[in-house]
Amino acid sequence: MRRKTLAGLLAGVGFTIAGVASASAEELTIFWAEWDPANYLQELVNEYAAESGDTITVETTPWPDFQTKAFTEFNAKGDAYDMVVGDSQWLGAGSTGGHYVDLTDFFNEHKLAEVMAPATVKYYAEYPANSGKYWAIPLEGDAVGWAYRKDWFEDPKEKEAFKAKYGYELAVPEDFKQLRDIAEFFYRPDEKRYGIAIYTQTTYDALAMGFENALFSYGGELGDYSNYKVEGIVNSPVAVEALEMYKELYKFTPPNWGNTFFQEDNQAITEGLAAMSMNYFAFFPSLLNEATNPNAKVTGFFANPKGPTGEQFAALGGQGISIVTYSKKQEASKKFLEWFIKDSTQKRWAELGGYTASQAVLKSPEFQNATPYNKAFYETMFKVKDFWAVPEYAELLTQLNNRLGPYVVGDKGTAKEALDGLAKDWTETFTKYGRYAN
Amino acid sequence: MAMAAMTRLDPQSRAAARGWSDLSIRNLFILPTLAFLIVFNIFPLIYSLGYSFTDFRASTNAPANFIGLKNYRDLLGDEFIWNNFVVTAKYVLVSVAGQVLVGFGIALLLNRAFPFKGLVTTLLLLPMMMSMAVVGLFWKLLYDPSWGIINYIFRLGDFAWLSNRDAALYAVAITDIWMWSPFVMLLSLAGLSAVPKHLYEAAAIDRAGKWYTFRRITLPLVAPILLIAIIFRTMEAFKTFDLAYIMSSQDTTELISIKLYKMAFQEWQTGKSSALAYIVLIMVLAITNIYVKYLNRVKER
Amino acid sequence: MAAVKSKGALVGNRLAIASVLVITLIFLAPIYWIASTAFKPRALATTVPPTVVFAPEITPFIKLFTKRVQLTKPVDPAAYDAAPWWEQRILDNGERVLRTGANVQLSAYPSRFMNSLIIAITSTVLAVGMGTLTAYGFSRFRIAGEKDMLFFILSTRMLPPVVVAIPMFLMYRAVGMTDTHIGLIILYTAFNLSFSVWLMKGFMDEIPKEYEEAALVDGYTRMEAFFKIVLPEAATGIAATAVFCFITAWNEYAFALIMTNRRAQTAPPFIPSQLGSGVIDWTVIAAGTFLFLLPVAIFTFALRGHLLRGVTFGAIRK
Repeated sequence: MRRKTLAGLLAGVGFTIAGVASASAEELTIFWAEWDPANYLQELVNEYAAESGDTITVETTPWPDFQTKAFTEFNAKGDAYDMVVGDSQWLGAGSTGGHYVDLTDFFNEHKLAEVMAPATVKYYAEYPANSGKYWAIPLEGDAVGWAYRKDWFEDPKEKEAFKAKYGYELAVPEDFKQLRDIAEFFYRPDEKRYGIAIYTQTTYDALAMGFENALFSYGGELGDYSNYKVEGIVNSPVAVEALEMYKELYKFTPPNWGNTFFQEDNQAITEGLAAMSMNYFAFFPSLLNEATNPNAKVTGFFANPKGPTGEQFAALGGQGISIVTYSKKQEASKKFLEWFIKDSTQKRWAELGGYTASQAVLKSPEFQNATPYNKAFYETMFKVKDFWAVPEYAELLTQLNNRLGPYVVGDKGTAKEALDGLAKDWTETFTKYGRYAN
Repeated sequence: MAMAAMTRLDPQSRAAARGWSDLSIRNLFILPTLAFLIVFNIFPLIYSLGYSFTDFRASTNAPANFIGLKNYRDLLGDEFIWNNFVVTAKYVLVSVAGQVLVGFGIALLLNRAFPFKGLVTTLLLLPMMMSMAVVGLFWKLLYDPSWGIINYIFRLGDFAWLSNRDAALYAVAITDIWMWSPFVMLLSLAGLSAVPKHLYEAAAIDRAGKWYTFRRITLPLVAPILLIAIIFRTMEAFKTFDLAYIMSSQDTTELISIKLYKMAFQEWQTGKSSALAYIVLIMVLAITNIYVKYLNRVKER
Repeated sequence: MAAVKSKGALVGNRLAIASVLVITLIFLAPIYWIASTAFKPRALATTVPPTVVFAPEITPFIKLFTKRVQLTKPVDPAAYDAAPWWEQRILDNGERVLRTGANVQLSAYPSRFMNSLIIAITSTVLAVGMGTLTAYGFSRFRIAGEKDMLFFILSTRMLPPVVVAIPMFLMYRAVGMTDTHIGLIILYTAFNLSFSVWLMKGFMDEIPKEYEEAALVDGYTRMEAFFKIVLPEAATGIAATAVFCFITAWNEYAFALIMTNRRAQTAPPFIPSQLGSGVIDWTVIAAGTFLFLLPVAIFTFALRGHLLRGVTFGAIRK
């Protein structure tokens, strides 16, 4: 602390301190978003510090700013961060923009393509798809799942009333139709009780991830990732149906639900607002903690339900860790990554609460039984799909937010109009970047 | 640069003969400031003027291509940008009108002697001294539909201030009114206290009505200083970034500064955002010009 | 007001004073709410109805200054008893303190607060120093195009931060000055400089020229007269200007958001970034906000006599 202050003072009077570095003990910084896994990672790297002498600080910022802050730093060519645990969508921009160090040799040398779960390698590490070039080490696997109020679901009176109204048993929903019915059933504004909590925020990828859960299970796609064709895909009839369903679900959310992401969705459970709540698995620890969730004992979890045709997918979360090109401590960073991928470290990472991508650990009974949701997580990780990972993905997200936000939250236009507009925007963007050049 | 150094001092005097000449003192005192402002404010603007005619993106290593006025044409023809300007205009109108009503109203109430008047006035001024970003963040809790004190006190049930598309802009404006009404109040008080007492006395002798006195004596005399407050707040409200950015992420609260920020630092359309910056800049300079004109007029009174 | 006060006027007066007091309470309510939330147990921060009376505790401040992690399994009672009192408070909240070796790991808040102090103070000294000299120049010497120059100086203060930030970002990137203290200091100095010139010019204009002229006649040089006669006379004005500049730099958000990330990041962009993981912990936000607002609240009282001048760039004085 004192040294930092002194450095700050010196910088204040005009000296720019360029990383006080001594060969033996480095101070590394990892940038990630503000959530429990980042705290678990801090705890893990503290153990690395005890072993190696290199101290590592995990710097965090909330999800809505995460992308902006990381890319402001990248585009400033700054060395504030040595490593970044970046979102899967960043791979294109990170690699082609020259912000990420090429880790292909590292990846191959340690046979990580076999060590890590296939979905994590495909979505967190490799860019372009199937190129065999790797830019990150899968660090935190994640996907969207659902939390629900077991006590509400199991209440005999509710079960009876539900059966009378819908003609089937009230239980964990198997498909989106049931999800909708249950949401409608529990939507009781007079009792301050609502049906469902979903993502609607339009600053980053909240709305996109939320909609993807419906879209992918309905059998829809965002486009053809191999040739950038979006017209007729992102606005296909099933996609329209999926968006209409998502909008339908919004009707049964608690009030003030037009700007929500994981915090609000967790609050929907902790404050007893909603019967079911969509969230990334990585946000579930605080739902099991009785100090943060008074309903911890009665909270259950399930995987994203099936679509009308029986397909079942979920939106991918999770991140890989990359070394930042502008870091002056790349060797020390590599040394840390070598430690991080060791089996013992991965095991410890899972113990601390991290979602390891290591297949061996994922398959172990210790992992699957460690929490009520680990098994659902393990199963989901083989049924995930992701957003565009191209360098211009940020513009694609903005366009999605501009088109779908007003429809879902604001009642403007129809699902078809929103998606047609999106297909048009995306086609224009891809044209602008010369994606259809050949 | 002005070169005529005219002082009241006789150049032949003994004082002028010793030490630095007044000319060099003047230059020494003024030039560094001008140089500093030119280097760190004007030069960057010239730099970005150049970029506003290109398709430059700071996120890529691709060189900037000159594309003429295309950025300006695109921006002025973009329905989303127009919407940003409409939102901004609405925000400025609501927030400045609110500040004038509340601020001037409080000033009228305060314009009398009572115990602890100084303390009360200072307490009222606290909000405008605070960080908009940090306090704005906290207003999110105050507006919360489930446990915010605003809905509780005003019995609004679970009215969703910040996620309601239509209400969000007003919610931000209310916070702005809370922060900056004290500013209007402060200036109005100065104007009110400058109204000569004998005018009121004369009006009382003439048995003039309250409303008549207010309209014919108070308002005209306070008007110039009130106008300064209005122009200044208009300019600041037009530039608002912190408050709206922190409090809401709706497209109905996307003020022009927020759009500019997003275009420049999220989408990295550096060239296009430089062009938008220039459009905004010209508008701000126009308001500043009016502001300074009135400021000088009031000063000369 | 009126020479003879009627009964009605007296009642009106009382009514006005009463409504002023009510309005003052309404205006202070948000600030009171920040202060009180900073001392609340977490569970009381979001209750229906809102909690007004409670036993204050300092747990939010303990949390503000430490790095913590969510408990994933129940605390071992023996370990709980062995922990110091402040750590027990954190454990009660369902969290653990992180340690590096035996040392408790601090959160980033203290270093961001220090950054705010360093940057605000340094830029204030620079802006007020240069501003005082320039104001003296404009006040005492006749300068061709003075009005235009003063307008130019003021207009730099009116530029929207994001407009300036775009080119400054590119320039700082070219010389490696993003996320440095000096980078923000320069921006804040430039921003405050115009303000300090205008405000100080008002103060300088008030100091009678005769003082210096008498000194010059007594054999002082112009420089000596400035330092020995003018500056002491302007001391109050300089102090008021400095406090204004400090508050502006202290509160600034947009430049800090864009230009800094970690090393030089100040508190305003940092505090909103502490919304917590999983569930928002408003008590910690309130604690961070409370400490951050405290200096400004104190300065506002110190400045009370000068506020009007400050907000009108020295144009209007009482």
